[in-house]
Amino acid sequence: MSSSADPAAGRERSGEAQVQAPPVADARGTPVLAADRVRKSFRIGDRELEILHGVTMELHRGEVLAVTGPSGAGKSTLLHTLGLLERPSEGRVLIEGRSAWELSLNERAALRNRRIGFVFQFYHLLPELTALENVLLPGMISDSVLLYRRRRKRAHQTAEDLLERFGLADRMTHRPPQLSGGERQRVALARALFHDPPILIADEPTGNLDTATGERVLELLFAEQERRNLSLILVTHDERLAARCQRALYMEDGQIGMDSGSPIPT
Amino acid sequence: MFRLFISWRYLVSRRTNAIGIVGIFLAVSALITILSIMTGFLEQSRRSLRSSLSDIVVEPSQYLRPDGRPVPSDAGPILAAVREDPRVEAAAAHLVWFGLVGTPGASAAEMWASARSGDRVGVKLVGVDVADEFATTEFRDSLVQAARDGVPVADPGDPFAPPPDYDPVGRPRASVIVGSQLLRAHRLERGDELELMTSVHDPATGDWVASNRKFVVAGTFRSGENEMDLQRIYLERDELADFLGDTRGYSEILVRLRDYDRFGEVVQRDLWRSLDEAGLIFGTPYEVRTWEQLRPVLVGAINNQRVIMGILLSLVLVVAGFTIFAILSMLVSEKRRDIGILGAVGATPVGVMSVFLWISVWQALVGGVLGSLAGWWAARNIDAIERWVSRTLDVQVFDRNAYLFDHIPSQVNPAGVVLVVFGAFACALVSAVVPALRAARVDPLEALRNE
Repeated sequence: MSSSADPAAGRERSGEAQVQAPPVADARGTPVLAADRVRKSFRIGDRELEILHGVTMELHRGEVLAVTGPSGAGKSTLLHTLGLLERPSEGRVLIEGRSAWELSLNERAALRNRRIGFVFQFYHLLPELTALENVLLPGMISDSVLLYRRRRKRAHQTAEDLLERFGLADRMTHRPPQLSGGERQRVALARALFHDPPILIADEPTGNLDTATGERVLELLFAEQERRNLSLILVTHDERLAARCQRALYMEDGQIGMDSGSPIPT
Repeated sequence: MFRLFISWRYLVSRRTNAIGIVGIFLAVSALITILSIMTGFLEQSRRSLRSSLSDIVVEPSQYLRPDGRPVPSDAGPILAAVREDPRVEAAAAHLVWFGLVGTPGASAAEMWASARSGDRVGVKLVGVDVADEFATTEFRDSLVQAARDGVPVADPGDPFAPPPDYDPVGRPRASVIVGSQLLRAHRLERGDELELMTSVHDPATGDWVASNRKFVVAGTFRSGENEMDLQRIYLERDELADFLGDTRGYSEILVRLRDYDRFGEVVQRDLWRSLDEAGLIFGTPYEVRTWEQLRPVLVGAINNQRVIMGILLSLVLVVAGFTIFAILSMLVSEKRRDIGILGAVGATPVGVMSVFLWISVWQALVGGVLGSLAGWWAARNIDAIERWVSRTLDVQVFDRNAYLFDHIPSQVNPAGVVLVVFGAFACALVSAVVPALRAARVDPLEALRNE
């Protein structure tokens, strides 16, 4: 795995185009997710504000990566760029070796639908749908009416299995407002896993939960990661959580200041 | 799949969507009801006029022809000439004259005075040959229809036969068949004697003189056309000719064609030419006319009214469209977060746009289908509805004396219904385009970030 250099060097190069080697397949094969010199800037009035300064990183199959750092360091922007929700100003995002932002809009949407699962801090469930329907949503989006009718039974079985495994068997017909925060996040996790994607992106998944509830969600998250050999990347402010991950990236000023390569000592 | 599912869920979970549905429902049902009534008016007018006039009417002028020969007063030659045309199905001769219905005890002078003052309305005396009339006009049907609110003749196959219970005092009278409304207006019963009065030309003196005769009421007919049912009396043609004391045996020839829509105007021109060449008419084009040429104003006016009403009521659809636009615009603003979620989970902008277009389709579908059913039901039951409204509000909604008919005619035109529903769909879709495009342009991340 390659990454930007140490934080001090990163800060020195702040504002400059970083020359870094593009991600290459190592002994573990092609990374499932990679950023190649990704820059992201926003125009605010006359001023151009650069949030990411040429970030390069890789995530391999089965890896669990925590992204930490202070507020405003660019963690969420990196996550959204990797999740194909935010177009980088420069650089490439590679999903299973394919440069995602060079694909068509529909192809990118299909990648988001089938290859990437999202878990947000604020759950982001559709309030009009039941828990079961929220989990089925990725399937409904990917399938035409006819295809969905053909696969309906299997899709329901998948969604029900997920909810049962997450302890929500008796909550399937409940709508999000009728669920607790922890239950909502478990529904959101089930939705993210519906298509059994190789990549799971979690943006502060426990940030809106109390410690005990958050712990329960994390247990499920890590259990599913292990069971499915998922590549998990999660943003967190919680150093204890970061410590539970195989790797941690420390971001500062829009750069990767440190790549632990191993859990960060608490 | 999600387009249908999410749009339906949005539709049923938000009460404001009902406003759009109600708008479409009202517009579609009103359009179908009104257009059905106007179509009914048009078709009933056409049917009534056609049934009383047949397809083509020949009315020979009584002037001497330019070659100095008179037009024959006997119907035989002209009937034979008309029937020679293979496109003609049947033809019947009518002898038409005008008269007054007498009041028991009133003198002739008193009756003429009341007629001049407008208190007494004249009647049209129509002399017919039963067999020819049955073959050419809707006369037989009008006798059967009389069972609804009149007094049917004893034997529809021989309508001028005296009523079975008729017991004449003195000389037996010839029979007449009066319109069902005329019977009610004069409080007549089957078997009653009816005095008819008219003025006839006295060939001896050259003056017009009053003539009256008593007839027996054999029964009634009911055409559904107010004017006919209130002002027409049928007699046998020979009886009327005898009453009038005139040598002229007919006034007009009614012609029924095998296929009017196909041959109507061609046969009219051909008949005019052939009858003129045979010296059976005076020779002006006005003597041979189609029924539409005889009543052009009425048919055209109803058709115009139908078009105008259709245009005016389409504005209701436009209003419904604006409602849908407003509702969907609000929905897009409120559902920005949902749009962001859909985008994050893999929906394309086109997919998101389709969700909102589908909402308008659902609204048009629900409103259109319910509106069509309601419009169809209202059109079918418009008479009962009108009676109920009149009774409840104590106002006369449909003045039967002001129209040709004694009921509100209504005819649902399936093609019209399809057109109205299609219009509702088009209106709803067009109204949804702008909000749907707005939804498609929402940046998912921006929407989620703002939450």
